[in-house]
Amino acid sequence: MKIIDMNLTRRQIMKYGAAGIGLAAVSGALPAWADTIDDATKTFSGPSISGKKKDGPYRIGFANGFSGNSWRAMAIRALQIEAAAHKDIAELLIVDGQNDITKQVNDIESLVSQDVDAILVIANSGSAVVPALNSARQDGVLVAPFNLPIDGDGYDVYVGTNPNIKGSASGKWLHDALGGKGKIVALGGIAGNSYTAAGWAGAQKAFEGSGIEVLAYRDTDWSEDKAKVIMADLIAAYPEIDGIWSDGGQVAAGASNALLAAGRPLVPVTGDDYNGLLKLYDAKKDSQPKFDIGLISEPTWEGVVALRNVVNLLHGQEQQRDLIITPKLITKDNYKTYMRPELPDPVFVDTNLSADELKKIFS
Amino acid sequence: MRNSASAEWASNQRIADFVRRVGAVWIAVIALYALSAIISPAMFQGSQVLNILQVAAFVGVIACGQTLVLLIGGIDLSQAGVVTLVNIVCTSAMDGQNANIAGAIALCLVLALVIGLCNAALIVVFRVTPLIATLSTNSILFGAALVYTGGAPHGSAAPAFNWIGQGSVVGFPASALTWIIIAAALAWLTRSTVYGRWLYATGANPVAARMMGVPVRRMQVSAYVVSALTATLGSLLLTAYVGTPSLGIGNQFLFSSVAAVVVGGTALTGGIGSVVATVGGAIFITELESFTNIIRINTGTQMVLQGAIIAASVLFYRTIAQSRR
Repeated sequence: MKIIDMNLTRRQIMKYGAAGIGLAAVSGALPAWADTIDDATKTFSGPSISGKKKDGPYRIGFANGFSGNSWRAMAIRALQIEAAAHKDIAELLIVDGQNDITKQVNDIESLVSQDVDAILVIANSGSAVVPALNSARQDGVLVAPFNLPIDGDGYDVYVGTNPNIKGSASGKWLHDALGGKGKIVALGGIAGNSYTAAGWAGAQKAFEGSGIEVLAYRDTDWSEDKAKVIMADLIAAYPEIDGIWSDGGQVAAGASNALLAAGRPLVPVTGDDYNGLLKLYDAKKDSQPKFDIGLISEPTWEGVVALRNVVNLLHGQEQQRDLIITPKLITKDNYKTYMRPELPDPVFVDTNLSADELKKIFS
Repeated sequence: MRNSASAEWASNQRIADFVRRVGAVWIAVIALYALSAIISPAMFQGSQVLNILQVAAFVGVIACGQTLVLLIGGIDLSQAGVVTLVNIVCTSAMDGQNANIAGAIALCLVLALVIGLCNAALIVVFRVTPLIATLSTNSILFGAALVYTGGAPHGSAAPAFNWIGQGSVVGFPASALTWIIIAAALAWLTRSTVYGRWLYATGANPVAARMMGVPVRRMQVSAYVVSALTATLGSLLLTAYVGTPSLGIGNQFLFSSVAAVVVGGTALTGGIGSVVATVGGAIFITELESFTNIIRINTGTQMVLQGAIIAASVLFYRTIAQSRR
């Protein structure tokens, strides 16, 4: 089993991580780690895809959009470990699109010319990759986008969350945490990105007809420093902020730190499974009675599930095309089973990676 | 007719003189402040003024060094990469321990020196255009940060170190205080020393400066080193403000470090400008961002507005410079 990691380079933009472990920590004992993959709800939908039985060993390509943040680093490692565990996978070729739409199209073409049996892809653009992926399918290559959808029906496997459902779930949580009444600010990702747009639309739906008043919406590039700076401005503008909706844990952490710096009480926040936010919650929950968390991950193991589904097809099994993951909500009741106090803030804690693997990645 | 025309000309001239004496950017800072305070009373609070100064310190410190580079007729687009790499290296070396602060800072300063000298070597020795040379360095630095972390940054700033970014001295933000000290030192260096006169001479006309005995190449080297150093100091302040590593932290400065200098009135062609005006430029762009955060406009409009103001200020300064002749 050989893993080739072609050019690891540049670039950032935070993206999420992970879902749910469910076991409550027994007091005095170490938190018990459950299988996060088994704990999330997974729902198959879409048309039935018949198996394309092939004899191994298989060559699998992964056209990653870019690799510049801890979510992607964890996702790549999880995929490498999964590929190594399959005896009939001979090779996993990873190419990095460096956040460049055209480079990723070239990457896909180069994977096809290397005779891969399937291509996993996180698309930089859901439309730009379509022609290259279509021609790959014509050459008999299975196409499996995950994490971010692609346009049209030209694929065999999809694994991802539904940001709209996540947004309405986090919106509903915030609504309930505030007792259906209060003033909130919303902090999104990169201006114009479809992920935040779908999530925020879901959240706004959850606020409809309630006493939740949205004071402001701002984009933060999913960066903790920007979130802190922007939140400091919003604090000056609004004497009362009762809650924060965001789709990133580092955003919620930056905004909470701005509240602390301004001497204002911490409030209920939404976000994802960014370790730094769980650590902040753990440190402040006793002194800040209103501080509360309602977090939904974007699992870093999505690629693992996508690879399993691809292998199913290669083994000749029939299965439905789309697999939508609904991660478990992380709240004050279960956060301790996710938090990794010994690991740095940028870890996304809904992960199937072992503690040893995580230490290796984050050191 | 002629009298009134000449009176009007004289009064225009008086306004232009006044603007030059006070510095156009400071008038802009105050005008924007007055305007934003009228539209949003939140901007009028003392705490918000301090908040703006605290945040302006990051780009402010970084832009101080950029001013020197622009004064010699160059440009440094690697500052964004320096900010990211220093943030990554500093948090990794500190690892949340107060005992590691001195070592981590020393390491970052050495890094700054090396980066500054590399930029200078490319530009002065190998004669690569500053724009291309520093943009390449920028890409290398981002890449280095990514290779070093493998995409997964680790470590955190030490608690005692965070004071410089988050703390205050009798209510005044420590980061702004640090900025004032750095800016004052560089203002003195550029205004009251032989080094400063050489710097302006190099930018205004390098050939003439060389004939007058100014060590032009050494001036250029020093400007790029100072630029890398202030980018490092700005990154340290910002790191102390957030406390965590982030691979995207430097991105914003690719544009804003040059914007602050240009809005301050320093000419991209070299020889004209000042560090003190850059301080005003940094306050202005932070004020503008803060104002656009408070009023309800979307991110797109915010970006259009910021770009338009940078372009307008370049036009404005050129007009002022021409009216002087």
